[in-house]
Amino acid sequence: MIRRLMLLGAALALAATPAFGQGKDKVVLLLNWYVYSEHAPLFLGKARGYFEQEGIDLDIQEGRGSGVTVQAVAAGTANVGYADVPTMIKAASKGAPVIAVGVALQTSPMSVMGFADRNIRKPADIKGKTVAVTPGDSMSQIWPLFLKKTGLKDSDFKTVSGDAQTKLNAVINNQADLLLGYVMDQAIKLQDAVHKPVYPIRFADHGVNMVSSGFIVQKDYLKEKPDVVKRFLRAATKSLEEAAKNPEAAVDAMLAAKPKSGVKETALVGMKNTAALYKGPDNPKDRPLRVGRKNMDETLALLVEYGGLDKASAGKAGDYYTNEYLP
Amino acid sequence: MQRPWWQRLLLSAWVRPVLLVLVLLVAWDLTIRLFRIPPYLIPSPWSVVQQLGAEWPRLLKESIPTTYATLGGFALSIAFGIPMALVIAYSRTVESFVYPLLVFSQSVPKIAIAPLFVVWFGFGIIPKVIAAFMLGFFPVVVSTVMGFKSVDPDMLDLARSMKASRIETFMRISLPQALPSIFAGLKVSITLAVVGAVVGEFVGSNSGIGYLLQIANGNFDLPLMFAALTVLSAIGVVLFVAIDVVERWLIPWHASQRIDVAATA
Repeated sequence: MIRRLMLLGAALALAATPAFGQGKDKVVLLLNWYVYSEHAPLFLGKARGYFEQEGIDLDIQEGRGSGVTVQAVAAGTANVGYADVPTMIKAASKGAPVIAVGVALQTSPMSVMGFADRNIRKPADIKGKTVAVTPGDSMSQIWPLFLKKTGLKDSDFKTVSGDAQTKLNAVINNQADLLLGYVMDQAIKLQDAVHKPVYPIRFADHGVNMVSSGFIVQKDYLKEKPDVVKRFLRAATKSLEEAAKNPEAAVDAMLAAKPKSGVKETALVGMKNTAALYKGPDNPKDRPLRVGRKNMDETLALLVEYGGLDKASAGKAGDYYTNEYLP
Repeated sequence: MQRPWWQRLLLSAWVRPVLLVLVLLVAWDLTIRLFRIPPYLIPSPWSVVQQLGAEWPRLLKESIPTTYATLGGFALSIAFGIPMALVIAYSRTVESFVYPLLVFSQSVPKIAIAPLFVVWFGFGIIPKVIAAFMLGFFPVVVSTVMGFKSVDPDMLDLARSMKASRIETFMRISLPQALPSIFAGLKVSITLAVVGAVVGEFVGSNSGIGYLLQIANGNFDLPLMFAALTVLSAIGVVLFVAIDVVERWLIPWHASQRIDVAATA
């Protein structure tokens, strides 16, 4: 019996060895939120084996907001985070040892949106309406800049505040006409809930530009495993490129892995809207994830002016991102 | 024998918790220094104190709507909880119908249905009052039922033998005997009502401590977040003490109060 126990012990030890499993590096990727169309490319990459080919055993975990994701990556709980880069910058300026190694959304997905039948198509139409916002989130902080750029005043409309779900509920139940949301997230959720088209007015179309989601890692992790990060980003770049070319396959891969993450029809719209944000205004020819310097400078400037980032501790854009590990 | 002033000070009831808080603050600060916990995970006590000082007017302003919602929910808890408990305590039929359902409803996580309150009742103070009520209501019912059920049956027999009317029996025997446990329930209720009010503010609000917590969270402003939590706890303590004062005034004869008298004598 003792021999069998030893055998069992040896088997367990072998199974627990990270090297066991064809020498792959395990990477835990923590998303910014529950899975939705924006994440479809990662599932495509996983399904098609792009990560496996790079020797990476990718474990995709759902998140509960970019802030929590950034904290988890900073604390080493997750290896890579997919999170709002401006949120990461705020945390990094407060000492979190994190850096963006690839920026996925280089044009802001932020928008103010309502059901299309309300006929709110341009900023002037917002006058006299009610807008639902989440206090303290990135959109509510950039919202004043959008108002300034479009010549609107706080007194032109009514504001109601609530958490992410309340915002959606408010528009669905006519307690608000509009909400601040992302073109590939809230716009799709509203459509799925009521089966009515949604019309988003994008901040980016009115002179407000700011990068959004990207891949972030802990600085120590980057130092210790630069090779893993490089291989991860190679696979991620390929995933984004392929998803942009073939959005339907990406959505299928996502729905196969997470059947509850959306409805195919609208998730496809969301995926297409996401792919439209991969390029920034200053680098139309670059491959995905490679962000332009000017874009990052602008983002940082906006964060200092509107995002509650302390000017003294803001530093420069180069402190917060690097393109060096990209293919 | 007269003790020296500092010993008397140490022994007085209100100094002790303050001392414990100070010890905990020092432990907190030491832990952060010893384990090098970065400020984006846990802020230092000093930065929280600084933020408390700097943001004091705002914290005070935001605490008013939260206090209103708490008191509103607490008032509803009393208005619904005590009559319901009376009916449950005096009728086995009602008890068998209602009590299990009440326990069932208490196990529903309020945070899960709180977003719906906003849908049903809008963005005003009502959803917060209701959230506070939902959390504060149950302890009132449970301890009131217990209070009325544990009235000494010999006393009731005595009252009956003396031909006391039902109202007289209630006012002179049942209610006074039930009051201590009713107050125990009220004290639990008020602290939970504070939590309920903040849950209500989390899901939809333009003001209040819950709203401030959300903003602080969005900006990684942990010192402000902890400062807001401190104010929130202070609201809970003040309301708790207020109920305690009312209790002492209403039932000075009770055993829980007598011990205090004996200790100081």
